[in-house]
Amino acid sequence: MRTVRFGILSATLLFVPAQAADNAAIKEKAAVCSGCHGENGISQTENIPSLAGQPDQFLQWQLVFFRAGSRKNEQMQPIVEEMTNEDIRNFGAYFSSLTSPKGAEDGDPDLSKKGAQVAAGRRCASCHTDSYAGTKAVARLAGQREEYLVKALHDYKAGQRVGGGVAAMADVAYHMSDEEITAVSHYLANLK
Amino acid sequence: MKFHRSVFQSVLALAAVALLAGTSAGHAQQQDKSKPLKKYESGTKEFWTHPPDDWFLGDETEAQKGLAPPSGPPTGASDAELASIVKKIKLPPGFKIEVYASGVLAARQMAWGDKGTLFVGSFGLGNVYAIKDNNGKKEVKTVLKGLNMPTGLAFKDGALYVIAVDKLIRYDNAEANLDNLGQGKVVYDDMPSYAAHGWKYIAVDKEGWFFLPFGPPFNIGIPPTSVSQIRRVDPKTGNAEIWALGVRNSVGGDVDPRTGKLWFTENARDWISDDLPSDKLNMINRIGEHFGYPYCHQGNLPDDKFAMGHKCSEFTPPVLNLGAHVAPLGMKFYTGDQFPAEYKNNILIAEHGSWNRHKYQGARIVRVIVGPDGKNPKQEIFASGWLEGDQGYLGRPNDIILAKDGSILVADDWAGAIYRISYSKK
Repeated sequence: MRTVRFGILSATLLFVPAQAADNAAIKEKAAVCSGCHGENGISQTENIPSLAGQPDQFLQWQLVFFRAGSRKNEQMQPIVEEMTNEDIRNFGAYFSSLTSPKGAEDGDPDLSKKGAQVAAGRRCASCHTDSYAGTKAVARLAGQREEYLVKALHDYKAGQRVGGGVAAMADVAYHMSDEEITAVSHYLANLK
Repeated sequence: MKFHRSVFQSVLALAAVALLAGTSAGHAQQQDKSKPLKKYESGTKEFWTHPPDDWFLGDETEAQKGLAPPSGPPTGASDAELASIVKKIKLPPGFKIEVYASGVLAARQMAWGDKGTLFVGSFGLGNVYAIKDNNGKKEVKTVLKGLNMPTGLAFKDGALYVIAVDKLIRYDNAEANLDNLGQGKVVYDDMPSYAAHGWKYIAVDKEGWFFLPFGPPFNIGIPPTSVSQIRRVDPKTGNAEIWALGVRNSVGGDVDPRTGKLWFTENARDWISDDLPSDKLNMINRIGEHFGYPYCHQGNLPDDKFAMGHKCSEFTPPVLNLGAHVAPLGMKFYTGDQFPAEYKNNILIAEHGSWNRHKYQGARIVRVIVGPDGKNPKQEIFASGWLEGDQGYLGRPNDIILAKDGSILVADDWAGAIYRISYSKK
């Protein structure tokens, strides 16, 4: 396993030196992110999302929204203001390439069952895909931190966060009860 | 010539589909029939602040599941990518396309300032840009931030007007104040605040009044009585009149330089099929005309559920059916002198392209040749090549504006760029 990986790495170094250098540079820049978002993009901090394995475009959009001020966050704002389009592309590529977090052991299968029904009723999979891995501009939900999913849905519900151009998340979350938000977040966070 | 033939073929294909409408559309619509008539309670304030959550999904059939709006590159296309995109664009002989400005993320409607500043609105980002020409180099500056989908712009008497869903805002003496436009002054706000089909376009008429579209906050349903219409608004006084009814989602229009009448593009309902119904080009002859939504589509297709006994003959038919899921948005009459003489007063329409058709179509500019009466229209493809594969975009044209020299500029909200298309005999 190790030798195989090493073989690929050295091939990359030999034939695509520029890209390898970019990777090193972006890793260095991403060190700023790991303070809150965790090593390898897996957050250990309450209310801070994991970034590992999120779709490339979704990550880039959020950075663009933070930079434009259409998504507001005091910690993120000063960081993204300095970012160039190229930085944003590189961060998207880097975090999307990391292995996504795995759901923990489900401590409340009944709540998950209820959450699955909520997800079906609200047609979450229409955009987030059947595996909830997300795609393109749509976030991965499977394995995300549970309390962060609750926070994100409440932010949408309260109109503090709008989402993409067509505002689908704000419209969906507005109609969700607190019980639904709790259940669907539990279900999604524990998805393997 | 190839362009002519392919359009002719697709028109024939469309005609064949229309002939089959009784069967194919019937089947598609029968699936809807098993569900109850979709109903929205628009009598509460909440409806206007939070429209139905199934506004763009929910009517799809099993075969249509998974077709969701595509999302472009968040930081637009790089200069290297744009250089390769413009090489792929096909134009009639003698025409040339080049990149006018890049880094204009989510670029939508454009408007010229009197002193040569090009103002550009945007979709989800909330930005308004000003593009200045510094000795041939284009400087793109974000002059307004944090607005609610400021897709529509106009420039009049030194002021920049921005329509941001439910607010028409005026920024006085705009070109002298690009570093700080200030808060502006809201001159008209009798508009619902929902985002769904709430983004708008401004067409200015000869008296300086603005035509503004009001889309319904869903795919299809009985629209609340204050939407599915086009209003004519005086930006000086805030006076407004309802100019047209029965309009679904319109995000483009222009006033005919010959007659002063408004022509506008209209996006048809979704989820009948890949080939029905057609999007439309309309012309308003008289105040108060009804264009059919939600009862009748493309001038000849009564809605299976929402026709509710109405016949298509009760409504103003389109000047031209442009094709299904082509998404016609910004349009302009060509009034310049640079293009060949036969282009004079032709209509150029930017088609944004499909989001829920299995094989995308649109993402091009079409040329419509038609007289002031709207009779015997002909359409042909003017610029194409932004589509890649069945569901891929290199770019999505959505607005057109004439430049002083008679060339045209095209806004692309996918690549985040403005293109220039010019003509020269050699």
